[in-house]
Amino acid sequence: MKSRYADENLSWIAPLVLLVIAIPFLIRGVTFSYKYYLYVLNIAGIYTILAVGLDILSGYTGLISLGHAGFLAIGAYTSAVLVDQAGVPFGLSLIITPIITGLFGLVVGFPALRISGMYLGLTTMGFGFIARRLIIALRAWTEGSAGLEVSNPVLFGFEFANDWTNYFLIFTFVVAVIVVARRVMNSKIGRAFMAIRDSERAAEAAGVNLTRYKLLAFFMSAVLAGLAGVLFAHTMRFISTDHFDILLSIYFIIMILVGGAGSIYGAVLGSVFIVLLDFLLIPAFKDWMALFVAIEVADIQSLIFGLIMFLFIIFQPMGLYGVWLKIRIYWKLFPFNPKKRFT
Amino acid sequence: MTETFGGLTQEVVSGIALGCIYALIALGFTLIYKATEVVNFAQGELMMVGAYVNFFFVSALLEVPLLNGAWAFIIALVGAVAFAVLFGAFLDLIINRPLKDEPVFSVIMATISLAIILRAVMAVIAGPMTRIPPSPFGSSVITFGGVAVSTLDMFIILSAVVLVVVFYLFFNRTKWGIAMKATAEDPMAAHLVGIPVKKVYRNVWIFSMVVATIGGVLLAPRTLLDTHMGFLGLKAFPAAVLGGFGSIPGAIVGGVIMGVIETVSMGTLSFHFPWVKEINDVIVWIVLIAVLMIRPTGILGQEEVDRV
Amino acid sequence: MKIRNFLLLTFLVALFLGCAGREPTPGVTDSEILIGNIQDLSGPMKELGMALPHGSNLYFNYINGKGGIHGRKIKMVIEDHQYNPQKAVASAKKLVEQDQVFCFYQVIGTSPCEALRPTLEEYKIPLIAPATQSGTMSDRSRRGWEYIFHTDTGYDKQANILVDYAYEQNGDAKVGVIYQDDDYGANVLKGIAEAEKRHGVTVQKEAYQRGATDFAGQVMNLLKGGATHVIIGGVVREPIIVMKTAAAMSYAPQFLGISPTMDHRVVLGAGKEGEGFIAANFAQLYNSDVEGAKLYRELFENSGTDPKVMGMYNFYGFMTAMVLVEGLERAGKRLTRAGLIRAMEGIKDWDGKGVFPGISYGPSDRAGTESVVLVATRGGIQQIISDWIE
Repeated sequence: MKSRYADENLSWIAPLVLLVIAIPFLIRGVTFSYKYYLYVLNIAGIYTILAVGLDILSGYTGLISLGHAGFLAIGAYTSAVLVDQAGVPFGLSLIITPIITGLFGLVVGFPALRISGMYLGLTTMGFGFIARRLIIALRAWTEGSAGLEVSNPVLFGFEFANDWTNYFLIFTFVVAVIVVARRVMNSKIGRAFMAIRDSERAAEAAGVNLTRYKLLAFFMSAVLAGLAGVLFAHTMRFISTDHFDILLSIYFIIMILVGGAGSIYGAVLGSVFIVLLDFLLIPAFKDWMALFVAIEVADIQSLIFGLIMFLFIIFQPMGLYGVWLKIRIYWKLFPFNPKKRFT
Repeated sequence: MTETFGGLTQEVVSGIALGCIYALIALGFTLIYKATEVVNFAQGELMMVGAYVNFFFVSALLEVPLLNGAWAFIIALVGAVAFAVLFGAFLDLIINRPLKDEPVFSVIMATISLAIILRAVMAVIAGPMTRIPPSPFGSSVITFGGVAVSTLDMFIILSAVVLVVVFYLFFNRTKWGIAMKATAEDPMAAHLVGIPVKKVYRNVWIFSMVVATIGGVLLAPRTLLDTHMGFLGLKAFPAAVLGGFGSIPGAIVGGVIMGVIETVSMGTLSFHFPWVKEINDVIVWIVLIAVLMIRPTGILGQEEVDRV
Repeated sequence: MKIRNFLLLTFLVALFLGCAGREPTPGVTDSEILIGNIQDLSGPMKELGMALPHGSNLYFNYINGKGGIHGRKIKMVIEDHQYNPQKAVASAKKLVEQDQVFCFYQVIGTSPCEALRPTLEEYKIPLIAPATQSGTMSDRSRRGWEYIFHTDTGYDKQANILVDYAYEQNGDAKVGVIYQDDDYGANVLKGIAEAEKRHGVTVQKEAYQRGATDFAGQVMNLLKGGATHVIIGGVVREPIIVMKTAAAMSYAPQFLGISPTMDHRVVLGAGKEGEGFIAANFAQLYNSDVEGAKLYRELFENSGTDPKVMGMYNFYGFMTAMVLVEGLERAGKRLTRAGLIRAMEGIKDWDGKGVFPGISYGPSDRAGTESVVLVATRGGIQQIISDWIE
């Protein structure tokens, strides 16, 4: 087995790790309000973990999931209840919760074996609503829709109590997830997923066990969503069912679409871009616009968001990752680029 | 026992009215799907836009001293439908043309982004306050056999039935309708046979927008005008799928079943079995998933043959 | 090799820069006090997002026109959280760190406010008059309770008082409640539970989901349960539709409402079916004769704003602004966050130019008021029909 990966190019990992470590220091050195930017990055990191999972399911395997916020919710609430009410140590919850969420993924995966395409999308959408309802119904533990206060992460006696330490906790996992996901997607499993996406019949004919791989895709994406949920609950310190709604599920789909479905890099690019856009860029743009235009600019935020999404779909269906690839090819071929290639 | 029964009948009737609203929305996207294979997630927002446009017309017309109430509503409706025709053509231009060859996923996301844009634009135009639209029927209520139905609800049921019948006949008995079905099945072949595919697409969006507008006009007095009205559209999805996506009578069958299930579950079932209260708002989805597992194409849907 | 060295250099520089760290000073200069507000400007509650700060600014401008507070003018910065708790926290951090606001004010929504608690604790920054009537705002068992000063009577207390009222009117009453199944409703139910224990009865409870537009089932159940008094824990749309649905079924219990239903649009929308509806409110009406309301109307008319904006929400912004200003004045010329907190704690039975029943805080009391006044719809107009009820 080892020989298969021996020639894989792993040199991207070290610079990535250095970059991830350097960023918070850079930000802190440059601005007073570093905590604010770190907070936004933390959200981006958590969502990236989920986006990678969603990409594995919908991008690589082609199983549309419009209810992934449901898995995030399950992960978040499960961990909150386990740690704060059942006394489970945070470190253990980091292992157990994703597995529990993964089991839910299997449950949702079963209908997927028979249902496909848009119907599957609706089924997963329904799952999103049902998961939320389930959490509300278990009010004895979850306080229903009132929301739950959650404790800080505590690992080996160290308490992660602010944005700075949270960043390192979260991004350790982000990097780990990216490395592992890439590895897995470049293996037999990943190829099986893509085969299923491109043509189920052909895949079956080539010997891919549809049941096993479809369920595996659901399991993996749910596990990642569960991990994201644990981190989310304990770094946000407050969770409420309000947050995990259909709009959030759509938000995640937007991330992988804009980033480029079917590529791990794409998922990462997409989620970081969308979070930065939503939290930083659009509000900044709004403030800038307010200097010139007196009209009520509040709703412009959603408008811009929708427009960007729409434009990406029409003009750049391969997403940001596609843009990146084009740039790279342009750079490599410079100055010999065929004129018409980059429209 | 009779009291329970009486209550049940009332709930069923209210449920049918609610279901017909779902049916109207479901009809809208069934139409689009039938001709273009596009799943329009923005259908609820189209309804919202239609409702607002009608409201603006009505508000403006009611100011005109010569018009008495009924005429204001009628003229406003005509105006709203005219707008719907134009807007539907516009939608075709921006959705269908650029996205003709894209995978299903992209098209779905495009309609979702359309929904977001429409909501935002409408919010800027109409402002944040919830509006109370005047109902053309006032609050009049018809009672028969101890069951009360508001005149508005009766009209909703009537409209839904009429529209479904009209479109069913259209798609199965008229040249244009059959042409549209052909286009949905194989646009290339349809084109080769001489069907003006682009016109078909445009017309179907126009129809859908008109249906959405009528739905919105009827719904507005019931639920009040708000830019988030379109979320009701999400619930109409299971209705359409339940009845069989792509089937026009299916839209009303699915819609009515959903409406009745929802109302009865919030009413009689919750009364006798308190635990039902916990699943009221997702009962529609549970039913949908159950049906899909047994019959993946819905009650009246057609089996889709997947050619490799 | 070159690239690697370059990266290493950047890394070291970053490390060096990052170890510096500087401490900013918060929101108070010789001429200005900067207040941070987070509203929902483009989400489900956006109508309040416009009306509330506008009302507040009416009062702030008035005070600034008279020279400000101890010579400082009040300036309010507003962020948009779209009713998303995560965005609320992000906005809060931005306000504290970038804009460097002195304190938070009027943040809207229960879940956004709850999500803010760790941030309040971290920066030791107070939140004055959160724009929600959830009783959890003054709940001392929650994190960061010391920093939040709640001005409104909680939904739970309101529900409690309404149940009492029902039994006062009719000793054999059967009470039912139709509530929104979220944090609002949870708080309402808490009050109902207390009332149930006190009176030794069970109240029939019917739930609906936020955004629902059809209540035939729930109303039917209340009819079957024989409720003579129905408390509506909704906002604007729900009471209108509930009352109309009930009227269509010839069911006419006495409808009672929690404060959000006091909005005059309920009267407008419900029409004749809304006649006799009684809602609870935690302050005087904007069109009443108390000094505060008169001042509000005068300032509003002088501001030339569209008359449609005048109403309960706009007035709410105005009256909570009065509370904030009172606290700032008492905090004195040497203004600090801790000073503001102590000053607020000293407020006792303050009625804000007749608008409030008497706001009181204390070292362990963050609930400003605990009374309501009842507003009934008679002849299509809202009238106050009671005194302050505890």
